Amino acid sequence: MRWLIRRVLKKGKSSISYEDDTHYGEILTIGRASDQAIFLPDLRAALNHASVTAVGNGKYRVESLIIAGIRVNGEITYSITVASGAVIELGSTRLTLLDARGDYDAAVEVSTIDKSEQAAISSSRKKPTSLSETWISKRWPSWIGFIVVLLLGLLLPAATHVVPGLNKVLRYSPLPSTAFWNPGEVDAAHKIIANDCTRCHQNAFLMVRDTACTSCHASTKAHADPARFNIPALGDARCGTCHQDHNGNRGMVSQAQELCADCHADLKARTRNASQIADISDFGSNHPEFHVNLPGWSGNDEFTPKSMPWSAALKENSGLKFNHEKHLKADGLNAPNGRKVLVCANCHQPDVAGAAMLPISFEKMCHECHQLGFDTLAPEREVPHADVPAVTYTLDEFYARRGLEGGYADARAPTIVQERRRPGSPPLSRQEQVEALAWARDRAREAARTLFTSKACVTCHSINTTAGADGGWHVAPVRVSGIWYVEASFSHAKHQTKACNDCHAGAASSKASNDLLIPGIDNCRECHAGAHSSGKIASTCIACHDYHRSPLLTLDKPATTAANR
Amino acid sequence: MHDSILTHARSRYLWISLALSAISIALYLWHDPAVAPNGGTWLGYTLGTIAALLIVWLMLFGIRKRSYSTTLGSTRGWLSAHIYLGTTLILLALLHCGFQFGWNLHTLTLVLMLIVIFSGFFGVYAYLRYPTLMTRNRESATRDAMLEEISEIDQNALALADGIAPEIHAVVLRSIENTRLGGGVWTQLRARDGSDIAIARIRAAIEKRETQAGAAPPALQAGQTIIAMVDFLAGGADDKQSEALRKLIDMLSRKRALATRVARDIQYQAVMEIWLYIHVPLSVTLLAALIGHIISVFFYW
Repeated sequence: MRWLIRRVLKKGKSSISYEDDTHYGEILTIGRASDQAIFLPDLRAALNHASVTAVGNGKYRVESLIIAGIRVNGEITYSITVASGAVIELGSTRLTLLDARGDYDAAVEVSTIDKSEQAAISSSRKKPTSLSETWISKRWPSWIGFIVVLLLGLLLPAATHVVPGLNKVLRYSPLPSTAFWNPGEVDAAHKIIANDCTRCHQNAFLMVRDTACTSCHASTKAHADPARFNIPALGDARCGTCHQDHNGNRGMVSQAQELCADCHADLKARTRNASQIADISDFGSNHPEFHVNLPGWSGNDEFTPKSMPWSAALKENSGLKFNHEKHLKADGLNAPNGRKVLVCANCHQPDVAGAAMLPISFEKMCHECHQLGFDTLAPEREVPHADVPAVTYTLDEFYARRGLEGGYADARAPTIVQERRRPGSPPLSRQEQVEALAWARDRAREAARTLFTSKACVTCHSINTTAGADGGWHVAPVRVSGIWYVEASFSHAKHQTKACNDCHAGAASSKASNDLLIPGIDNCRECHAGAHSSGKIASTCIACHDYHRSPLLTLDKPATTAANR
Repeated sequence: MHDSILTHARSRYLWISLALSAISIALYLWHDPAVAPNGGTWLGYTLGTIAALLIVWLMLFGIRKRSYSTTLGSTRGWLSAHIYLGTTLILLALLHCGFQFGWNLHTLTLVLMLIVIFSGFFGVYAYLRYPTLMTRNRESATRDAMLEEISEIDQNALALADGIAPEIHAVVLRSIENTRLGGGVWTQLRARDGSDIAIARIRAAIEKRETQAGAAPPALQAGQTIIAMVDFLAGGADDKQSEALRKLIDMLSRKRALATRVARDIQYQAVMEIWLYIHVPLSVTLLAALIGHIISVFFYW
């Protein structure tokens, strides 16, 4: 085999000449030994460093003969088959394997790597010795982090405010939508609109407007007329001042005592006497005695309760005569069906909400014992309750029929009334009819008088007889249960752990119905105190009172321009 | 007393930070908002403003440490303040948010901030520990001097080995090839000089050659240079050769020690720098999150 060995000789800067040599043999040996085909006088080469064999098709096989290996195409290797054009580097010599040419079977070009090139190669092969020389960087991760977070965290959600429908698309994609801005769970009641921030946040960079709230909460009452009660805190207050959302499911109604006390501590001075409400700052320490709504009636029986400060000496007028002590006897009462022990709940039953007590029902609660019979000869017949005209109709009709039918076994009655009429008897004569009806009218009046004045009604009711003895009976109006404290919300249901007697003390021994059995503030203060109390239930204003209570104003329709914000 | 970055100016910034923390905690405990504590109360806005300004100021440290001409305090003082006030930031941010967290941009901001601060803690540890280790390791030489010495030893060893036997020359050649200091991030951090990788590569190459040639395994075992030479010594060499070989072994041992020290030097330097590759990019990312956080809460006020 003929090898062409072409040596590149550099003369000066740009002048290059070639020196060709021929080597005969299968193998091209490379090394520092003098018998090598390519002799390299370089300490970095071993005596027999490597060999190159032409394997045909312009390919060469390079093999290292020592354990240090040989650098082919920049990589240390021990044995490799390469195409022509491959470069072997050894010390300061570069061998380039060439295509076979002319009548040569193989060819190699030998050139010298000059000093500056060697230095460049070795520095390019040098591994990085500090982190700044490696692939990691501070600059591009900073840029990527900054841009990605700004784009996804701010710009994309913000774009939903100007691009309609984008938010909906984003919410169904893994990309962040405005939900990524949500600082906290919205209130349970607002979950239904939680996916649409703009329902409340209508304008970017503006606080939530009251109009956003009143678009749903249209009938919510105002607290007071801000024009009449000219307090900055009232006039400037937004809905959001008190009602802050995005604080989870703990509710948006603020319980803070300061919310009320800040103004009500000196409300008269603040409003320049426009308000006559007493100054209040704390339930436990600074709250006036309750004003109890005592029942009362106008001349034509219209219910006109009278609000008065509670006091132990206060008497009430329910319009009813009732002796609690008599009814609450421990050993019971004689009832038609045997002895019966009454307790509070027999008569005082809560309404469906459990807040107030239902009105007393004569039919359900009294009638078992207090029956409204009027005639011993017809003990099953009773007059209706609570309807004075119906009582007299009933009596008139009952006795008219008795008189005309006859057979009424009362010795005081005329014979025609006592006489039983048989079938086939002739009808009553005109004279007899007049006589029977006259008896009936007298008997009905007598029965009515007995019922109203001595037997039935008068037992419990005040009967006014001045209206006349012929049916003009007047029963005084009655109000037994009702709302005694109209400005406060009290619920019996929330106080079920207490016994009736705990608050309505003295009921069991009350002999007169005008005893006021409704407790005052001291009773409440046994358990309740203000927000900063210790050892008692911390009850802020909102526990009993409503804020949105103005009877005439609603939030969405302010009565005055001052409220129009 | 030695004035470290932690005790600079009699720990002035430690006391400032403690005072700031104490005031913040006291205000937080005293503050009784109508709703749960959050970033939207007056205290929330106050703490948030302070924390945001602090973040911006802490980031200015990156500029301050590069401006050598400034008269605005020493870099050491700035670093001391950077560390203590940066630590205080954890408390300020937690009080600012009222310990409310969620899957949102606001908590992302907090998390980024915490990662930046805790990576900074590692930096403090590294700055306090590694300079001493580095000085001790270098034994008052510089890395360049050590590298120079290594390359000198290589030249001498090659000349010496050539006078002994071709095998020894080959072994020394290989040793030079194997001594590759530095490398990728992981290699630098683990203080490897690359010889293990080189040995593995040699093994793989030998195995490849064996399987291709189908020949029996050669006597040459890919082991450490020094062990290979001891084998040669035991194999019977004349006195002159033995002496030269001992000299060569001394030379290569010295080189190996030097290489190990250089590798360790690279490792210490890498450890002292690696945390910055988290600290700096994430602090810039944090800045974007902070901008987003502030704008978004006022966007939907």
